[in-house]
Amino acid sequence: MSATESRTLTDFKVADLSLAEFGRKEIRLAEHEMPGLMRTREEFAAAQPLKGARIMGSLHMTIQTAVLIETLTALGAEVRWVSCNIFSTQDHAAAAIAVGPNGTPEDPQGVPVFAWKGETLEEYWWCTEKALTGFSGDPELGPNMILDDGGDATMLVHKGTEFEKAGAVPDPAGAESEEFKVFLTLLQKSVAENPNKWTKVGEDILGVTEETTTGVHRLYELARDGELLFPAINVNDSVTKSKFDNLYGCRHSLVDGINRATDVMLAGKTAVVCGFGDVGKGSAESLRAQGARVIVTEIDPICALQASMQGYQVARLEDVISSADVFITTTGNKDIILVDDMAKMKHQAIVGNIGHFDNEIDVAGLEKAATRINIKPQVDEWKFPDGHTIILLSEGRLLNLGNATGHPSFVMSNSFTNQTIAQIELFTKNDDYDKQVYVLPKHLDEKVARLHLDAVGVKLTELRPDQAAYIGVPVEGPYKPDHYRY
Amino acid sequence: MPVLRSIRERFGEQRPLAGITVGACLHVTAETAGLVTALTAGGAQVALCAANPLATQDAVAAALAQLDGVEVFARHGEDLDTYAGHVADVLDRAPSVTLDDGADLLVTLHAARPDLLKGMLGGTEETTSGLVRLRAMQADGRLVVPVLAVNEARAERVFNDHYGTAQSTLDGILRATNLLLAGRTIVVLGYGPTGRGIALRARGAGAQVVVCEIDPVAGLDARMEGFEVMPSLAAAERGDVFITVTGAPHVLGAQHFARMKDGAVLANAGHFDVEIDLGALREAAGGAGGVRVRPLVDQFRLPDGRSLNLLASGRVVNLAAGEGHPASVMDLSFALQALSVEHLVAGEGTLGPGVHPVPDDIDREVARLKLASLGVELDELTAEQRRYRRSWE
Repeated sequence: MSATESRTLTDFKVADLSLAEFGRKEIRLAEHEMPGLMRTREEFAAAQPLKGARIMGSLHMTIQTAVLIETLTALGAEVRWVSCNIFSTQDHAAAAIAVGPNGTPEDPQGVPVFAWKGETLEEYWWCTEKALTGFSGDPELGPNMILDDGGDATMLVHKGTEFEKAGAVPDPAGAESEEFKVFLTLLQKSVAENPNKWTKVGEDILGVTEETTTGVHRLYELARDGELLFPAINVNDSVTKSKFDNLYGCRHSLVDGINRATDVMLAGKTAVVCGFGDVGKGSAESLRAQGARVIVTEIDPICALQASMQGYQVARLEDVISSADVFITTTGNKDIILVDDMAKMKHQAIVGNIGHFDNEIDVAGLEKAATRINIKPQVDEWKFPDGHTIILLSEGRLLNLGNATGHPSFVMSNSFTNQTIAQIELFTKNDDYDKQVYVLPKHLDEKVARLHLDAVGVKLTELRPDQAAYIGVPVEGPYKPDHYRY
Repeated sequence: MPVLRSIRERFGEQRPLAGITVGACLHVTAETAGLVTALTAGGAQVALCAANPLATQDAVAAALAQLDGVEVFARHGEDLDTYAGHVADVLDRAPSVTLDDGADLLVTLHAARPDLLKGMLGGTEETTSGLVRLRAMQADGRLVVPVLAVNEARAERVFNDHYGTAQSTLDGILRATNLLLAGRTIVVLGYGPTGRGIALRARGAGAQVVVCEIDPVAGLDARMEGFEVMPSLAAAERGDVFITVTGAPHVLGAQHFARMKDGAVLANAGHFDVEIDLGALREAAGGAGGVRVRPLVDQFRLPDGRSLNLLASGRVVNLAAGEGHPASVMDLSFALQALSVEHLVAGEGTLGPGVHPVPDDIDREVARLKLASLGVELDELTAEQRRYRRSWE
């Protein structure tokens, strides 16, 4: 939105607009740490490739995301936004986005954003629905692009379309989780009010770019079953996303979250990391660097052997459950630490999850078997009948965002530059894409990395033509085959 | 060895050791040769024997024996009687200063040649094991000469034990066995400066490290560094490689051997070959000796079918299977030795009997010379900072 086109924004919901000034200061600092996004703004300032794009974003409403949102608008897009997690919003970031760079708390002129830290599940899905409609001032108009993290926005459109087609929404009472019950209740209401709403929203959408492993997994399932309504770009599996965000981002923010939540000294403690994928690798490394002894659990023999070769003990959870002090889930799978496990833990063992969803730790089981003593926001002590307690971080939701501030700006600049490039790619070359899941071509992945080199003082060596010919790659790249694992 | 070289050059000009006889019982290696030539440059006569029969590099011994003012009594693999004879040969030269690595010269002097003690200026001791013996003598009121504890100088502690012994211990184990460390469980018995260095390097190579300790402070330090700490009997069941570095005897014994996994590797990085109970190991193998399966690897077959692999006959593995400390590390140790000899000679009996620390200015001088050789410059306190640190208000 340009400064001349001044109008007061009323179409948003955040915790406290007075936080906008603080948020704007932090955005300014973050812009310096996000060179990929800022250089993308410069590169496409004149071309405005996202003009006409109506982007609905469902992604943690943090300071870094604010820089992404303002990159998308700088490239011409109209944007509506929600967080993809009830705890991950940074309220000052949300306020700054609502107010916008040219508005004031009294006269907000920014981007419609529906996000605050500590939403209820009902509020969360209400926000998602609000952001999926109401574009261009039209309460019926949906997005033509989705930028998703975890796939909740994509799921709402797909399930809505599916249930509208079936003419009925399943009974929420039979839902397998509390969250799905809320989800079905919302759809029941919306289908009753407008039986064609989600079908229409879905028809307008040209594509989705998906941020994370969990959402990507959902997309591949939909594509496999022929149910994907629009093309998707899997941003997660760009090397400059998954390797950097999952590995280096988690390495940075896991210990930060544990420290802010508990201030427990990690040196000398035994920590169990469940899962040794990219997130698990970063988590294990950060805990070890603090002086904790790290034990890894794995189901995959390759990852287990990797952990072993890096000097970690690899054990089964049940064999270390009563001796470890800290338990971190990173698996992307469900039911990793169950209430029976927590019943066997040491007094005041710390339990947290850094995987995307809150189903890795059995919080529902905990509610039945133990009593909750809230210590402070996102830190709960749960007391078992025998008197021992465990400390649960962020109610089992991703603790690096719930207890700390998530990935640092520089890491997110890599991820979000991929997102921005993927949005441009899918929006401007939509005809090239079928209703399948794609990854960004390697030359764009390499471009994202290139955009970040200057900021960290990297001097790249250039291939000479004869050297390039010798290994059979172009001088300007791409340098590796698609299957290369880095 | 740039530090020792610069000292040798100064000694050559100043001749501070003129007329002094130095008796040395050190590992006879190329690095030791650098120390010996520095001492002779200073004017000393040097008589040298080996602190460990397996550590002697015969070519070095031969080359040193060619030099003016140097006598060498050492042969690789010499037996215990020859070794004792060589120690006696050195003492026959009536040294006024001794250099020890394990205290054999000073202990033998006190026990067998008390007649020679009167004219002595003092000695230096290179290693922890030797200092343990000398302090025991002092506690019994038996030590009658001053000894400078070179091993406890800061420049020595930091470089020799933590960097030198630690790196070369793993090097020796790798050369002897060609084992991949990644994925293995390495049990480090003793978490002194050397044990700590070994543990950190083993972890860096991808090993899972278990530490055994008797000292609560060292044990806590290991734990806070993220290592698993447990009693050695529990560790015996877990380890693939065991490294003793304690200074104590029989750290690994019959009970440990009974619990170990088939194929476990036993190595000692402590000074003496007493840390692994070799008698118990032979007994566990039904009285039979080990079968040499590779140079420096003796395999002991236990009646239940397990095999335990002993490296370098339980002798200090970094020297016996590797090449000992890298020259740059020994450069600092021997620079301390050379300056300590100079200090003892210059002091002419002003130090009382007993174990003394190496003077701090020697420590600083060695580090300063080393930094200069690396081209590293330091900051200096300003006058204002100096004042601030001296004031109490």
